[in-house]
Amino acid sequence: MIRAVAAFAVLVLGAANLGAAEKIPPKPAGYFNDYANVVPKEKALALNEKLAQFERDTSNQIVVAVFPKMESDSSVEDYAQRVAESWGVGQKGQRNGVVMLVFVQDRKISIQVGYGLEGALPDVTAFDIRSRHITPHFRSGDYAGGLDEGIDLILKAIRGEYKGDGTTAREKSRKPESSGWGPLGFIIMLIIILTIIRLGRRRGGFGYTGLGGPFISSGWGSGGGWSGGSSSGGGFSGFSGGGGSFGGGGSSGSW
Amino acid sequence: MKTFLSLGKILALASLFSLTGCGTYNRLVTLEQNVNKKWADVQSVYQRRADLIPNLVNTVAGAANFEKSTLTEVTNARASVGQVKLDPSKAPTDAAELEKFQKAQGQLSTALSRLLVVSENYPQLKATEAFQNLQAQLEGTENRISVERNNFNSAVQEYNTALERFPTNMLNKMFGFKPRPFFTAAAGAEKAPEVKFDFNKPATTPPPATTPATTP
Repeated sequence: MIRAVAAFAVLVLGAANLGAAEKIPPKPAGYFNDYANVVPKEKALALNEKLAQFERDTSNQIVVAVFPKMESDSSVEDYAQRVAESWGVGQKGQRNGVVMLVFVQDRKISIQVGYGLEGALPDVTAFDIRSRHITPHFRSGDYAGGLDEGIDLILKAIRGEYKGDGTTAREKSRKPESSGWGPLGFIIMLIIILTIIRLGRRRGGFGYTGLGGPFISSGWGSGGGWSGGSSSGGGFSGFSGGGGSFGGGGSSGSW
Repeated sequence: MKTFLSLGKILALASLFSLTGCGTYNRLVTLEQNVNKKWADVQSVYQRRADLIPNLVNTVAGAANFEKSTLTEVTNARASVGQVKLDPSKAPTDAAELEKFQKAQGQLSTALSRLLVVSENYPQLKATEAFQNLQAQLEGTENRISVERNNFNSAVQEYNTALERFPTNMLNKMFGFKPRPFFTAAAGAEKAPEVKFDFNKPATTPPPATTPATTP
């Protein structure tokens, strides 16, 4: 309790006062990102597709990221709010994003709820999902099970709040590029991808390698498109933040 | 001839100022409106906390022989917060006014955290779902307060900086723009304490018997 009070003193003035110790991770490549390698690959891909499809159906963006360690001295709820805000999860107008961050070594988890979903997923529900459904799994080391159940409950809570238009924010931003260009667009993309791969090799790989493979190989290869088919073809749906905003709603804690 | 020249100079100067002044004025208006909007957000999260308190007090008072003094303290702090009412649609220009507001809210934070510390001694109360839910709500509200205060401070900072910059600093008096005070990091007892519990201590909190609802 005293530790918690001391931690709060640090966040009274917030970001402006923080030292250089904090690192906000870059925007993730997908909806489900396991940087700590605690979830089996196939499971991670399936969850990623589930969340991508959820955005297509409802426009709600949910991003889950599992990190080995928290790179900040402040409390998990405060740090997670800043991360969620900087990733811009959720659509701009609706602000309908949810971000779930897990820090394995710190044994900390935070669910951050965007302004637009505070009604559908109030703190009490987030608390219930976190403490009664996710962390019991985590305590026995079952990360995949906890995340799976948690994601399902979040989806259940916020489904119906907004309507989607069948595409993700990323697919929308890609569409004008791929339409009309046909094979030329595909060749340009191929060149870009090859350059990226070569650059990546030269620098000794990407910072986060977990999802790099499927992201490049099947997602892009399916005919110059981010459109359609990817969920059935086993491809990887990439994530782009829609510009959502977070006000500290949700629930955080340790296990 | 001489007066003619100086008249021309004045005209030239005036047109220069009106050119730069117009854009500056509009910018300041936008920034000021942003400060006021952020202030309204701050007010609403503080109000949200105040609204939770009667419920919390009722729940806690229901527990067998709960320490009365901590409850009274919360009720009194809640009442004094109600007395320091500032215009929710306009950010205060007077630093002392904001200070008073912040002090009252700080006292309420202290009283609340004391209440929650004391409730640690009542495992039966802590195990009830009603109490756990209230705690979750209070915790979320404290987080929201911290976020909205930060947002307000950055809005004020942007506005104040714009105000002090040349040539705005020469014009702002004419237009009547005033710098706005910040929320300050609280010192000592006024520090907003974190209303937060470790719900998952297996020794003190038995799992609730009822299955909680997860649909809104």
